[in-house]
Amino acid sequence: MPPFYWERHPDGPFATLIAVATSYLHPEIDDVDSLKRFAKAKDSQEPRVFKSELREALRDPSSLPAGELFKSVQYDDDSDEAFLGRLWHELYGDETP
Amino acid sequence: MSARDTLETDTRVVDAADVPRETPETEQAEESPRGEVLDDPVRRREESAEARQRAEGNWEERPFKVDREELGKFDLRRAGLPDMSIESAAKYVEEHRASRPWLAMTDRACPEATRIIAAMDAAGGHAHIRHEGSVTEEANRRRVAYREDPAQLDPQKRALSVDGLRPNDKRHRCADIATRITDPDAFATAFTRGVEHPDVRKALDMVFNQGAMPKAVWIPIADLLGPDGHDHCTGWRLKPVEGSMETAYKERNAWVVDRAEGRKSDAHEPEAQPVSTFQGGVITFMFVGNETERRYEIMTMCPDPPEDPRGES
Repeated sequence: MPPFYWERHPDGPFATLIAVATSYLHPEIDDVDSLKRFAKAKDSQEPRVFKSELREALRDPSSLPAGELFKSVQYDDDSDEAFLGRLWHELYGDETP
Repeated sequence: MSARDTLETDTRVVDAADVPRETPETEQAEESPRGEVLDDPVRRREESAEARQRAEGNWEERPFKVDREELGKFDLRRAGLPDMSIESAAKYVEEHRASRPWLAMTDRACPEATRIIAAMDAAGGHAHIRHEGSVTEEANRRRVAYREDPAQLDPQKRALSVDGLRPNDKRHRCADIATRITDPDAFATAFTRGVEHPDVRKALDMVFNQGAMPKAVWIPIADLLGPDGHDHCTGWRLKPVEGSMETAYKERNAWVVDRAEGRKSDAHEPEAQPVSTFQGGVITFMFVGNETERRYEIMTMCPDPPEDPRGES
């Protein structure tokens, strides 16, 4: 079985959110500045999907697949909700989720 | 005398104290090599970590059978690395080894592997700094337990978990596992074969776009280093707290912040344990965009054990 959530569930809920967050924010990479540039890119579909899934996850964190976000990203926040809230603020400032 | 010769049967406490033991002035220091090791707290911890890795991680250091011709033919530009000859790589190592001590790993490498490692160092990735043989077992144990960065050369900053490669004294981050390939020739071989693997090539050959990033790629260790390739990998993993790795991770991070800010922590002091085996494991490649060159590069490459690949704690 492939080890990554987005490989096990390519069409699963929040696959883009988890994959993108892992690619930029896993402790081995930890590059929020590049993620900010990704979030602002206008000529790609993936940033829009990412933002949409982040917004959806913030509205209902319980809809995230259990434990997958933390297992993959290994964020330092206390909960999925805290991580997602911080991430939204870093990427989109005061824009309403 | 090697470390193994001196401590093969030593079963004493392995997590030695961080401060030197106080020795009464009247007490004569040991004169034997074993005594020298045990009276030096740093060496004592190093020996203890290696002993644990041998006992619990089933690790036995053995030479890697390297194909020097294969490494010699590798085109560094395929990985976005600066082109280097064997001679210029040797010169690079000599010129930079004082300020970049991890380059000492090339003392155990064949010239062809040295060429690859020197080019990786010149290019700025961190795989060879944090996931190769220059990182000791104790350094990896402390990296995962206390977020102490092996790349941080200032001991005081390292003890405060300050990252050695990032500016502004940013706190070092570490996942719930820290691993390495123990032999520089094996490390260079895994890198070169990985670069030519179709999944990694697909990532490296992506057209650069700020709105896209290659996803991490994993390749079985056996595919890159042969059926015994796992023998050249070691690692340490956080010890779960109350049966939970997530709890251990959060407690560790709280403990690290408290220590760095001079507070007594209510969190459990973190503990790490050797990975028991890498047989059946993978090597994970993670990527980064190079804005200047407008291409993607390998940011890091690290072995992951089978039962708990990175991201599946």
